[in-house]
Amino acid sequence: MTAAGFSPQAGEESAEELAAAQLRRQVARQFGRSLHIRTLDTGSCAACEQEIRLLAAPHYDLHRLGLFFTPAPRHADMLLVTGPMIRAFDVAVRKTYEAMPGPKLVVATGACALGGVYQPDAFTHGGAGEMLPVDVWIPGCPPSPLALLQGLLVAVGRLAEKSRTMTFVQNGNPR
Amino acid sequence: MPLWFARGLRRGVVTTRYPAQRDPSAADLPTPPAFCAEKLTREVADQLCQACPCGALSRAGDALTFDAGACTACGRCAQAVPGAVTRSGEFELAATRREHLIKQIPLVGESER
Repeated sequence: MTAAGFSPQAGEESAEELAAAQLRRQVARQFGRSLHIRTLDTGSCAACEQEIRLLAAPHYDLHRLGLFFTPAPRHADMLLVTGPMIRAFDVAVRKTYEAMPGPKLVVATGACALGGVYQPDAFTHGGAGEMLPVDVWIPGCPPSPLALLQGLLVAVGRLAEKSRTMTFVQNGNPR
Repeated sequence: MPLWFARGLRRGVVTTRYPAQRDPSAADLPTPPAFCAEKLTREVADQLCQACPCGALSRAGDALTFDAGACTACGRCAQAVPGAVTRSGEFELAATRREHLIKQIPLVGESER
């Protein structure tokens, strides 16, 4: 009963939505072999950056998956956003997003960017979704490198999303 | 010539799969809570909502709303009501829509009266 409230009804998808889904699959197929990522810190505590940095370490080794970090937004296919989107970064965020060539993906990383920790106020927008069109949301505070890897592969269509069917309810034997 | 190189040329697969096997370190990761359905009354739900520091939990009528995206896995809900909350063990939580992370959990007691 819980999942049904949020899942779009199968028969009700319009032609535009179907075309958008098809385009998204095509883009994902292209990015599935090689994807360059630009990280954007919009006021995070740097815990997310710590985990993102670990992705390049030998244990996780994201390069084997065809994913690479790039220092320039003009070379990037994906914007990996951390932090609660502080208002002082408005210009920088807009310029970074506009400098990226299309098609581009935006991934919001961590509880701050998902709107969990900071509410919108005079200093922050309270989440990446307020400023950017986010394609994939990666929860966690901070998300572990394994969770980040899964999120990146969901973004390029190489793994299926798991969270949609999770209930966070445990029945029986309460400890 | 290494075998994997020849295999890659033959099949056209240039990158490897994830995960090759289950990572043992995943068992120790902090994960969002899982709620024991039969212990969730309105009072317990209110206690949980009060314990949550980041607004991931809220109650509306007979349902507890859990926002896994806002959850920082701090474990304060499990401390507040030890019997009703356990570890979910789920860390691969990436979602393509924000709504997929917001879960409605039905409460017991009220509807049975």
